[in-house]
Amino acid sequence: MATGVDASLSPPLSPQPSPLARKGGLKAHERRIGRLFLLPALAAFTLVILYPFLRAIGYAFTRSNLQTPEPVYIGVANFISILGSPEILGAFATTAIYVVFATTGTVILGLGWALILNQPFAGRSALRALTLIPWVLPSTVTAFIWGWIFNSRFGVLNAVLVSTGIIPFPTAWLSTTSGAMAAIVMTKIWFSIPLFMSFFLAGLQSLDKEQIDAARVDGASNYALLRDHILPHLRPVLLVVVVLGVIGNLQQFDTIFALTGGGPVSATSVLSIQVYRLAFDQWDIGMASALGLLWVATILPAAYFYLRHLLKGA
Amino acid sequence: MVDFNRRQFGGLLASGAALANYPALAQSANPSFMSFTFAEDPNRPMVQKVIDDFKAQSGISMEPIGSAWGDVQKNLLLRQRSKTLPTTAQLSERWLPAIATIPEIVDLDQALGRAKLEAAIDPAVLAMGQVGGKTFAIPLITGSIGMIANKEVLEKAGIGVPKTLAEFRSALLAIRDKVPNSVPFAAVTKNPSAIPLDFMIMVWLHGGRIIDESGKVLIGSDAGRAAMAFMAGLMKDRLIAPELDRPDSRRLFAQGASGFFIDAPQARSFVRSFSGKGEAADAFVLPIPTPVLKAGDTPRSIQWGHLVCAFKGAGMEDANAPGVKWLNYLLSDAVQGSLAPALSALPVTKTGQKLPIVQNDPFFKNWAQATGVPLTNEIGIWSNGPELATILSEEFQAAILGQKSSDAAIASMQSRMEASMLKRG
Repeated sequence: MATGVDASLSPPLSPQPSPLARKGGLKAHERRIGRLFLLPALAAFTLVILYPFLRAIGYAFTRSNLQTPEPVYIGVANFISILGSPEILGAFATTAIYVVFATTGTVILGLGWALILNQPFAGRSALRALTLIPWVLPSTVTAFIWGWIFNSRFGVLNAVLVSTGIIPFPTAWLSTTSGAMAAIVMTKIWFSIPLFMSFFLAGLQSLDKEQIDAARVDGASNYALLRDHILPHLRPVLLVVVVLGVIGNLQQFDTIFALTGGGPVSATSVLSIQVYRLAFDQWDIGMASALGLLWVATILPAAYFYLRHLLKGA
Repeated sequence: MVDFNRRQFGGLLASGAALANYPALAQSANPSFMSFTFAEDPNRPMVQKVIDDFKAQSGISMEPIGSAWGDVQKNLLLRQRSKTLPTTAQLSERWLPAIATIPEIVDLDQALGRAKLEAAIDPAVLAMGQVGGKTFAIPLITGSIGMIANKEVLEKAGIGVPKTLAEFRSALLAIRDKVPNSVPFAAVTKNPSAIPLDFMIMVWLHGGRIIDESGKVLIGSDAGRAAMAFMAGLMKDRLIAPELDRPDSRRLFAQGASGFFIDAPQARSFVRSFSGKGEAADAFVLPIPTPVLKAGDTPRSIQWGHLVCAFKGAGMEDANAPGVKWLNYLLSDAVQGSLAPALSALPVTKTGQKLPIVQNDPFFKNWAQATGVPLTNEIGIWSNGPELATILSEEFQAAILGQKSSDAAIASMQSRMEASMLKRG
């Protein structure tokens, strides 16, 4: 079809790309640069995470302790030993108790605190800022603060209870199974609330106020508002917060180690502490690696769930 | 956008490789001395002085590496894996069997000469640094672990030095009732590295043993059960306290909040520091024979000492290497006559023990009279000592905190220790 344009006047189409052009085009070049930028992170990941993890997998199938500085392959014997050890199996139960109480407590109190801080009142901004302090504190400092509160000789808790006559003499809270577990759970809840509260507060601020006002006009009680409007609205946030909480609590080590060291006996010896004890108290690197693998296995379902949710959102 | 050519990319990789080898690059050129005494605030100047004097005499700079007492084994075993072992390291005598498994440890019979060591050091003291007949560490200071009483607290409670365990218990009750907010007997109840010492003495006082020389576990005896029941009874009556580590015991004692505790003679130095009274505190630090089950029994104490081992590598190449000169210097009268008394411990060399500063110090005389002939640590001599210590501590805590009966804890201790010894082979 004639276009009325003289074809001889159009610039000739070159069969070869310019010698200055990027190989494979601009997009391919950007992909190459992107991969290059990925290299430092990949190298760090390989050195700091992947390589030790692969080594740990290897050690899990060996006897590697003070008597055998050179690891000896023993198949799945370490895993069988773990299954036959009540002390180590107990760590799974202890971890489950810790994760359930710490996660539930933080979600409930974090949500409650977010609901309060979402209300208009004088000094709200200052209170929101102050709320972040426990989250900002280094976790070992937090552990020492709570250790001092629960200390059997100089603790604030004992001072209050003895001076008010509730108990006749100081109690060693951290030396009882339930007291030590309560202490590590309370400590974790205390410094996790600000983060969870921030998530919930962000969610609450996108809640349609007109919907709430309309429900109130219809006579909805506070509980009905929470059940029928707020919680359904916060459901995606709640899901992320719970999964992150479970993962974080499964990994928790520093505050527990600083507060109780896993004791008394092994009352607060969660999986992270048990792995540490096997590796650095008893120098049984093979057993510690095997338990470490099982510990990772407990984290994987939650991590998978979280990543799937994240990728779906993306 | 940043673009890299192949040469720049090669440089990036080379930098990465250099970073990956950082531990090797990070190793200092100077020979080093890892020390837990250097990490203790009251004692750091004493170690620093030894290092400074060594430099003045030999021209060699010894780099001090402070490491908390409880972390030394961990640090050494981790440094072995990263090939960053120090040239020399200070050890507690009970860690040596475990540390001697490190392939890089130096046989000091070869490096310093066995005959020379035997000429300088009493065989019983030198034995602390030996495993399997080889000398892997030189003793630095020595003494024993025994019982110390606080004279001021005893006076406040109106009691004398108890001779038997029954009298000891009565004395503790008197302190509890007459010295407010006190821990009558500041026994260690928290740290797996220290609990075994206190409990071992109690087992011996009740006529039992934990493990014999052949490796047979013997704790599951009437004496073992009686010792555990005794300690559990003390806890039940608030005569000992939970959550106490050795440093806590030293502080309680120094501040007049405890009548008795178990420690090495070094306790005097800590008490001087923690009481804030300096040498004036010596007046209430009283080494006493451990109370015995029945009159006529032998009081018990545990052989104790600090050692120094060396690791192969730079600084330990030959007899003239800086590390070898350092080890020899540590055995000189100059060090033995200053460091050991300053740490309230005995010198390890024969000549050091005859120095006037040692001979004229009444504390050493009282200590030797009170503690008698010390026995070898029954747990520390095994290469699986850390695991045995953990087992003992867990069962001990379970019994004194009421999680298990004393008999059940001892039965469990027996079976777990047997399994550990079996695994050890």
